[in-house]
Amino acid sequence: MATSNSGKPDKGLRSTVIGMVAFVVIVGIGFTLISNHSKSVLKLPATVSKADGYGIVFNPTAKPVIDIWEDFQCPVCQRFEAINSTYINQVVAAGKAKVVFHPMSFIGQESVLAANAAACANDQGKFLAYHTLLYQNQSPTENSGKINSDFLTQLGGAGGISGSKFTSCITNLTYQSWTKNIEVDAASKNINSTPTVFVNGKEIDRKTQYMDPVAFQAVLAAGGVK
Amino acid sequence: MKKLQPWLTFIARLILGGTLLAAGLLKIKNPSEAAASVRVYKMLPVTLANILGYSLPWLEIGIALLIILGIALKKSALAGGILMTMFIIAIGQAWARGLAINCGCFGNGGVTEDGKVHALTYFTEIVRDIGLVVLAGFLYRFPQGKLGLDKFVTEENDGNK
Repeated sequence: MATSNSGKPDKGLRSTVIGMVAFVVIVGIGFTLISNHSKSVLKLPATVSKADGYGIVFNPTAKPVIDIWEDFQCPVCQRFEAINSTYINQVVAAGKAKVVFHPMSFIGQESVLAANAAACANDQGKFLAYHTLLYQNQSPTENSGKINSDFLTQLGGAGGISGSKFTSCITNLTYQSWTKNIEVDAASKNINSTPTVFVNGKEIDRKTQYMDPVAFQAVLAAGGVK
Repeated sequence: MKKLQPWLTFIARLILGGTLLAAGLLKIKNPSEAAASVRVYKMLPVTLANILGYSLPWLEIGIALLIILGIALKKSALAGGILMTMFIIAIGQAWARGLAINCGCFGNGGVTEDGKVHALTYFTEIVRDIGLVVLAGFLYRFPQGKLGLDKFVTEENDGNK
């Protein structure tokens, strides 16, 4: 039974503080909900469409369909890339499947920069090469400051991509809204970790099929990659 | 006890409020990860899980501020206790269903990297959250503490009597 203190009630102060806290919470929630909404008017990179979840598409008419959600800052994605990218690139080059890359940015701002730059490289027809370079030069710590416009431009140079269009695409963050739309689409599809791979709309087995190249190629073959 | 209790209330406020504040602040910068952290518990339809994931960090911060400042403490402690109870249920059901996920309580949620269920982690998290519920209960029972803005508000004015 709590002690009634002898001081006088200070309801004004209490209401003011409650009001301020409630204001912050409501504005914060409102802002977060609005900014995590898909934009319908935005600049899209080459070979991207809403129907494919805003992913970067190779071989749009081929079957089966392989979807890959990844984050350029995610160490597990780096491992996955090192293990399977040679095969994936072969599948893309031979037109054996429709392959859709969804570069996510849930690890933070540097993922946004990297995903944007990958889309810029895609506009120059160099997505796959740039994709590999991003992983080969991944920073061991996330959002360390390593990934910035200069770094991303130089990385392009190493992959044979240059020119003012590529550079300005990186510095202007041309596809920032697109990276957000990918996040929102992935959220609606219940993509909860990276990498996530779907074969014909179904996730492959996380325990056995991601990091074992034989199992990975087998599950793609079972899905129809010949 | 009589002399000690206001200080215990103060300390309980700092621990419960501080934990909630840290949990909220660590998640607030990364809403898409926070949303994924909620989705992996598989308790809610995806759309609702996303809305909760985007909102939760702000709610945690709001409740934390009220508890730390000692404002409407009976109600804010109750809110904190309910939140913690929800977390216990969420973690408990994830464990029971064998979901291989991280708590995501302080960010870094999602599926576990090795795809395995970490029973010890689940256990520790539940014990921690039960401890926090106990603190919330203590605050509900003894809301009058040191350095709280409510200290001049009598019980009658708390509207909870």
